[in-house]
Amino acid sequence: MSEFEKLKIVTKYELLKQFRRKRFYGALAITLLAVILAIALYKGLNLPGRLRLDDSPELFAVFVTSMSSIAILGAVFFAGDAIASEFERKTGYILFPNPVKRNTLVIGKYLACFISTATVLAIAYLISAFALIGFYRQVPIGIFGSLAIALMLACSVISMAFLFSSVLKGSMGATIATLLTYMVIFSIISSSLIYAGYDPWFLLDHAANAVTATYGISLQQAFGGVGGRMAGAIKTPDPILSFLVLLVYAVVFFLLSIWLTKRREMV
Amino acid sequence: MKEIIVIDGLSKYYNGFLALDNLSLKVRENEDVALLGPNGAGKSTTLKLLCGLLYPSSGSMYINGVNVVEERERAISEVGTMLETPEFYPFFTPDETLGYLGRLRGMHGRELERRIREVIKLVGLEKWGKVRIEKFSRGMKQRLALAQALLHDPQILILDEPSLGLDPRGMVEFREIIKKAKKKKTILFASHLLTEAAQICNKVAIIDHGKLRFYDDMSRLKKKYRSLERAYLKLTEREI
Repeated sequence: MSEFEKLKIVTKYELLKQFRRKRFYGALAITLLAVILAIALYKGLNLPGRLRLDDSPELFAVFVTSMSSIAILGAVFFAGDAIASEFERKTGYILFPNPVKRNTLVIGKYLACFISTATVLAIAYLISAFALIGFYRQVPIGIFGSLAIALMLACSVISMAFLFSSVLKGSMGATIATLLTYMVIFSIISSSLIYAGYDPWFLLDHAANAVTATYGISLQQAFGGVGGRMAGAIKTPDPILSFLVLLVYAVVFFLLSIWLTKRREMV
Repeated sequence: MKEIIVIDGLSKYYNGFLALDNLSLKVRENEDVALLGPNGAGKSTTLKLLCGLLYPSSGSMYINGVNVVEERERAISEVGTMLETPEFYPFFTPDETLGYLGRLRGMHGRELERRIREVIKLVGLEKWGKVRIEKFSRGMKQRLALAQALLHDPQILILDEPSLGLDPRGMVEFREIIKKAKKKKTILFASHLLTEAAQICNKVAIIDHGKLRFYDDMSRLKKKYRSLERAYLKLTEREI
């Protein structure tokens, strides 16, 4: 049997595992709530009027498809324990002594995490698209670019979670380390660089902002009225460059996680 | 008879601690070898190394002539394992778990279904095949672990303390299952239980402080030291 056949089997069962867990439905519920709240608050509070902006499908899309946090949470929810749990909970004693390469197992787990996150994201974008049709009778083409960047962001965060999961002993540690690295470490570096007058285009969290940069409305326009001094300094990331930056993070972190998992011993 | 497992000068360090010291061992086809020794002697380390779960610090291991470090997947393709106290994915049922592991070993369709039913019956989990493992007791997980080890009808069985955590009835049943299953199989069996080892295996390897102290037929060992217990205590540096 080829490794590709084995990869299909691993992905199928890892996916089944993800769909059986409560956290999948938890992530789905949080996402639905977030999207519905975003739509209701945009319309209910008349955000365009308060920001003195012309209401448009693009502006609405910017607000309701700000899915970077959903992509991050989804990815961390599904990926944090993917590798570490095999060692921590000793399930690796059953899985690893099979004639299947560790690479195949890691790739299969990665695909399952990605499909789970992508499912949650796709549902969120679908609701946003329906809302756009309902309110404006049109869907801005930028929504596809936004979805592509959100999916690539999910890939990068899953890769980062896999990297921590392949090194750290516990699943909880890997999950927290991923969240802290993304939300604290990257954020501190980003903010410092922005204050110092540099464009942090190469940083993961900055590239993630491109999720809302595909509609032709700059971040200054959309969020200019809030955020104080920082808001003026926020530069709209280039969507294509950001996509590529996210891709590089996804590939590098993922390759590192495969390399480390292959060397990790079941002590 | 063909040498099916060859361990040559195997050593393993854990952060500077020598867990296995230049161990050499050869197991022939259809031999049943008990690995005996006190806690920390190096039994589990030896078995984990053979399954490719650890990397040796030095030395080499071959299963059916295939180097375990260089070609792990091919080397362990004819091995069924039960290591430590195994855990399973709690969201799966035994049928799903065995389906997953069987497919990874190239089994499929009716052959896989038939074999799953066979091993589930063999370990006495017929009524539990479709129940999620999260509801299982430790003993039930041990039974399932044995079922997965036997699923692909492997030529070699590597078992580490397989009856650990079972009640006395469970231990007897377990021993009977292994005795039944071991026909035409080579078994490497680590245990603390001398009587269990004596009932299942015809050869014995006594390890202490990572070194092989004795390796021969069970009958010769008993003849030389009068009993297995006496031999064990003598060879693991304790006098009666």
